[in-house]
Amino acid sequence: MRIEYLYPELGNLFGDSANIKYLMLCVPNAELIRTRPGETPAFSDGADFVCLGPMTERGQKIAAAALAPWAEALMKRVDEGTHFLFTGNSMEILGKEIRSANALIPGLGLLDMHSETDLKARYNGFFLGEADGITITAFNSRFSHSYPGGDTDGFAAVKRGIGINPGALSEGVRLKNLIGTYLLGPLLPLNPDWTKKLLSSLGTDADPVFYTEAKEAYEKRLAEFSDPRRKLD
Amino acid sequence: MKRVKFIAALWCAKFVNILLRLLGRKGTYMPGKLAIKVCPDYIAQIRKPPRVVAITGTNGKTTVNNMLSDALEALGSKVLSNRFGSNINAGIAAALTDGVDIFGHLKCDIAVLECDERSSALIYPGLKPQIILVTNLFRDSMRRNADAEYIADFISKNVTENTKLILNADDLLSSSLAPDNPRVYYGIDRLPFEGEPKENIVVDTRICPICAGSLAWDFRRYNHIGRARCPSCGFAAPEPHYRIRSADIDNMTALVEDEGEERLIKLPGDAVYNIYNTLAVYAALRELGVEGSQAAAVLESIKIVGSRFSRQSIGGRELTVIMAKGLNAVACTRSFDYVASQTGKRLVVLMLDDVFDEKESSENIAWYYDADFEFLAQEDIFQIAAVGPRRLDIRLRLLIAGVPEERILTAAGLKEISEAIDVAGSEKIFVLYELYRESSAAELAGLIADKMRSVSV
Repeated sequence: MRIEYLYPELGNLFGDSANIKYLMLCVPNAELIRTRPGETPAFSDGADFVCLGPMTERGQKIAAAALAPWAEALMKRVDEGTHFLFTGNSMEILGKEIRSANALIPGLGLLDMHSETDLKARYNGFFLGEADGITITAFNSRFSHSYPGGDTDGFAAVKRGIGINPGALSEGVRLKNLIGTYLLGPLLPLNPDWTKKLLSSLGTDADPVFYTEAKEAYEKRLAEFSDPRRKLD
Repeated sequence: MKRVKFIAALWCAKFVNILLRLLGRKGTYMPGKLAIKVCPDYIAQIRKPPRVVAITGTNGKTTVNNMLSDALEALGSKVLSNRFGSNINAGIAAALTDGVDIFGHLKCDIAVLECDERSSALIYPGLKPQIILVTNLFRDSMRRNADAEYIADFISKNVTENTKLILNADDLLSSSLAPDNPRVYYGIDRLPFEGEPKENIVVDTRICPICAGSLAWDFRRYNHIGRARCPSCGFAAPEPHYRIRSADIDNMTALVEDEGEERLIKLPGDAVYNIYNTLAVYAALRELGVEGSQAAAVLESIKIVGSRFSRQSIGGRELTVIMAKGLNAVACTRSFDYVASQTGKRLVVLMLDDVFDEKESSENIAWYYDADFEFLAQEDIFQIAAVGPRRLDIRLRLLIAGVPEERILTAAGLKEISEAIDVAGSEKIFVLYELYRESSAAELAGLIADKMRSVSV
């Protein structure tokens, strides 16, 4: 299995590099490729799982520019069923543009979506939702929201917390095996059952490592997130 | 009208202050909060000492604030400081209230004020400090501070014109703050006892802040602290004006180079971050006009606040209690690194949960995965105990970090964990606790100390 961590020097905020670390522990024989901005992404030759993590606003600009020449190749891989996971604000690069008071960052235009950043309004809170028939527990911490067109599928249905924007009933975006999500956690170690499903979808019979311990922590979190007396933040 | 509002605010604050003191409460920001409510530009209006030094940064600002205040007092200054209070705008207002009498006349000749980075916009425009000392900038609570670049931009936008900056030359982020302001730098050369740097999950400046090219490191001490340069555009870490050339940890001294002269200064702690803190205090004293020899002499008697780091020996074993700062991955990593750098059979108790989230919500634990728990995966660290509501998340994080399952203990309460840990099998015990768990840490340290005494009998 070829796993690509795109732009690790940019997309490494909020502990999300642990998605890759956890995946590599689950599939120890996988090949891990770290691609820097300016280098040819591994997915252009073929990869099984490609990950990009949350970044600063400056990082978004650099990453969007670095990925722009590879937009067509990325779309081709999406069509072929390659798994992509873009977490935090890296998801916004997939849309048409990212707007803020001082800048407009052109996106890759792969999704019918735009994003709006307001550095004076940070949203924090936990998230409870459902994806692939599994209850997801995760966190939000962001300055931006995204606004997809009507035909864009979401990643998870919102049960508690906010979705892709404050009025949305779903969180994130999904296009075949490409998932874009604002959810932090990191998503994989925090959601062992969903990770199990992901591993199976990647064609491996590997189980999530430390499944029992991850599941115990997940169950405790799930109980807390489901408790209406607990505030989102 | 403006003046009337200010006087009303001052008197309200003074009155509340008296009430709070009668109730035995100290260090509260309540008087300041009230004063700002009555007079929104209270910090600007209140009379301030002729010299005002603000201390900010992600880590070390309380230590530097307290050490500098103590040093100036030892040198005979009447110092106004928020060392027992809050560092947000209300805390600054409360401290400034203490610095004047009810007629607004000054009682102090210098203010040394720890300022929260996120409150810069509410503090600096009114305070107009002559000096801002920045210890460092790292990613911190993602809820409040987003990321380190965001905080650096935020501080830069709010630094007042002509304020002199004392900056850490070894931190590319904070040394690049407010480039138009006058500045001096302090830094530490690579020290003889420093080995190769460990891999850190968090390196907040991985690319050049000017051209986004890859950085080359002359040496990296930890995280993004070290000397870096950009081969593409020539950007480089600045040369320090106050520079530690070498340090002798056995004798707890360091050699500072300052304007071509070398001076020995005493170190109050053996962790590298405390060498930075001490050098920052030395630099501030020098920038305040204290002679180099006098600055070095006064540091002889200055200690670190006991609640942040304390150590006692009981029955041949050592108990060390360290404030590790929850939600702050780099501060925790520094503590993990410190524990890892010690020798002997070690036992570590982690109490890192956020008490506020615990009460009403559920803590965002993403920061655990930015902290290098991997440093604790050593054979000599034979037991790691996690106590508190997030203990199961800590256990998972430790497993992912490579700590074998049999070395991990979890418990909900202090008594339970103190009973479960293997004190007899340890030579050194470390309690790492979250900032707002100080009283729980003291209670736990007491329980462990009792057990240490019973084991030694």
